[in-house]
Amino acid sequence: MTALSSLSTHRIATAIGDAAMRWCDADFPPRVRVTNDIVERTGYSVPAVEFALDALFGELRTAALLETIARELGEPIALDASASRVLPLGRIAILSSRTTIGVAIPAMCFALCAKNDVIVKDREDHLVAAFAETLREELEAFDRALHVESWDARHEGTHLQDARLIVVYGNDDTIAQVTSEHAGSARTIGFGSRTSIGFLDAAAQGDPAARAAAFAGAARDASLYEGEGCMSLHALFFERSSACDPNELATEFAAAMERATIEFPVGVRSASQRAAMLQERNLAAFRAAAGNGAAFCDEHLGFLVLLAPPIQEAPKFLPRTVVMLPVGSPEEIVTYVERHALPVECLGVTGTPRSYAEIASRIGVARIASLGEMQRPPLGAHHGGRPRIAEYVRFLDFDGEHV
Amino acid sequence: MSREREAEELDSRILATIERWHRHGVRLGEAEFDDLAIAIFDYQLRYAPAYAAYCAGYGLSPSALPTTWRAIPPLPARAFKEAAIAAFPSDRAELLFESSGTTLGAPSRHYIENRRLYDASLLAGFERAMLGDGARLRYLLLVPNPAQRPHSSLGYMMGRVAAQFGDGETGWYLDEDRLLLDAFTADIGDACARAQPLCIATTAFSLLHLIEAFEERGVTITLPAGSRIMETGGFKGRERSVAREELYARAMRTFGIAAESILAEYGMSELCSQYYDLPGSERHVAEAIHRVKIAPPWLRTRVLDERERECAPGTIGALAHIDLANRSSCLAVLTEDLGAAVDEGIVLLGRESGAALRGCSLDAEDLRRS
Repeated sequence: MTALSSLSTHRIATAIGDAAMRWCDADFPPRVRVTNDIVERTGYSVPAVEFALDALFGELRTAALLETIARELGEPIALDASASRVLPLGRIAILSSRTTIGVAIPAMCFALCAKNDVIVKDREDHLVAAFAETLREELEAFDRALHVESWDARHEGTHLQDARLIVVYGNDDTIAQVTSEHAGSARTIGFGSRTSIGFLDAAAQGDPAARAAAFAGAARDASLYEGEGCMSLHALFFERSSACDPNELATEFAAAMERATIEFPVGVRSASQRAAMLQERNLAAFRAAAGNGAAFCDEHLGFLVLLAPPIQEAPKFLPRTVVMLPVGSPEEIVTYVERHALPVECLGVTGTPRSYAEIASRIGVARIASLGEMQRPPLGAHHGGRPRIAEYVRFLDFDGEHV
Repeated sequence: MSREREAEELDSRILATIERWHRHGVRLGEAEFDDLAIAIFDYQLRYAPAYAAYCAGYGLSPSALPTTWRAIPPLPARAFKEAAIAAFPSDRAELLFESSGTTLGAPSRHYIENRRLYDASLLAGFERAMLGDGARLRYLLLVPNPAQRPHSSLGYMMGRVAAQFGDGETGWYLDEDRLLLDAFTADIGDACARAQPLCIATTAFSLLHLIEAFEERGVTITLPAGSRIMETGGFKGRERSVAREELYARAMRTFGIAAESILAEYGMSELCSQYYDLPGSERHVAEAIHRVKIAPPWLRTRVLDERERECAPGTIGALAHIDLANRSSCLAVLTEDLGAAVDEGIVLLGRESGAALRGCSLDAEDLRRS
């Protein structure tokens, strides 16, 4: 029995939706308090953090939770029947991310909707803890079902041993470390480091309004969270077209990147990031002087657009740094992604997302979105290509009944 | 005047500068450095087309020269991987050095026209930094052997040093990447028996291997008085590394040597001159203690922010070196190294690594710290 097992999924989802609704208010005092702490932890500007919180809590609606559950489990009441065929796993541990703001919260909410006991290892900004307080105000049972605490390397072995499942947001080393040192008999689900790419087709290039909208969107996707999120755009492919000169395209995109620094001011950068950006810009200038490619930036090096760098080079995973690569067809995107073994989370496009399904499946993309929407994944989107709730339940089949 | 004649005249001026400091300790004043740097820059704008094209982007040309060495544009070190950065016909190079290939892609190539200038720079810098007591040492070298790696600048440098300052019994203990431990052990034992002071010149990576091998065998040695270790190269591109403090502490235990007898050299294949630790110097920068590195007077460094402005002393930035001995290539090189300016020289903080794929990343190091 878990702390939530006697409650209906609808009741749990409603409490989560109501709590999230309160967090959508930028003046909600807990949100105001935690915003400054997130800014301090991440170094992102306040508008970027506000955007993240709006996107996160704006998506966390009761109806969206129930729709996602229904899509994966058949119907939400599958979890509620007295002789239920869908059961909670028991205790689930979630390790929160260093960079992505609140990435643990949707996972936590779905794990709660599946009636699990949940423990979340929070970051220094205590965002998850603050939201958990609001959840408890909406539904007292969360007090017993949900525990949020800081990571304590000395005691994690015992803390995590009770968990049936550990969800880790981290790089390969982190996931391996948690699995080997802390998981015990628990299953581990790792969400590793990923990046995102975009494609501007010839049709969008030829339409000035569509082109401007695509560049504005791509600039937002590249600028938010200083390029650190898995939905952050780092490579923008564009179809070679006689209608548009690559330099003019890059100039236009750079202008959009510069405008994005006004909407989302540049965050705090490390000395190594600043040095790496300078090195990349100057190397691109050297190449440009030899007639190869070009570099575009503002005088503060707030962003960096690198036009047509050698395809032997992987994208630069630097703040607001985007490589623009001309391609004859989307097939060349596949070649590039395979060459650099890029783990791609999202493909941003200008046309109909479904028309890129074949390419996306070949490069392992989890989501196709319009440029400008990459950083706003719907709640039901399968982060990392994985289910939202199905991994937090176990199924019980009855012979003779439809399975 | 022909290019060759211009090059000869510049080299004569640079050699005289080296000689004055090497023999008499005379340093270059700001105006003298400016004068020589801009003369070399002017020459390079006319004879190094790849660098000249890059400088045109800064609005600089032989008819529009800067007034100070600080305004000479530093060329990214990676440009040496992509083009021949040479202010002379590169097929006439007396020396060609290639980077060790520790990073992905093609090696960096540094073409040097005049071996004499290169030798003078490295020998003067080494003698002043490492041989202040005038010791004639036996050189035990755990660096690339020029017989196997003729384009290793480190191997060439230590070969020249050993030939000039050694006791004639120089040993090389790397067979490609394999450490010749038995030969090293035998030779170090022989030197100890004869009380012959040594200089063990080694990359940090080889030093770690050496120490581990001795530790596994439970062997410790007390090197003859006057011995020293020159460590260089860090752990670039290696999977394993240890903190420098730990490495030195273990070296002190293994070889019975004092901390001040272990000195780090900092150089790169794209430069003709080197930095060395200033013995006994330590500065607190970026929440850690670092040794100060000093350069000979013909090598200066600017610490740059992302706008290519000079950082205030003590502030971390990208290191851009201006090496007057780089007459035949490019005198200003922007490195991928981070550091800070301090009173006597610079502190080196290592290689920039700001370009890691993050995504939803919670670093393992972060986990351990929390």
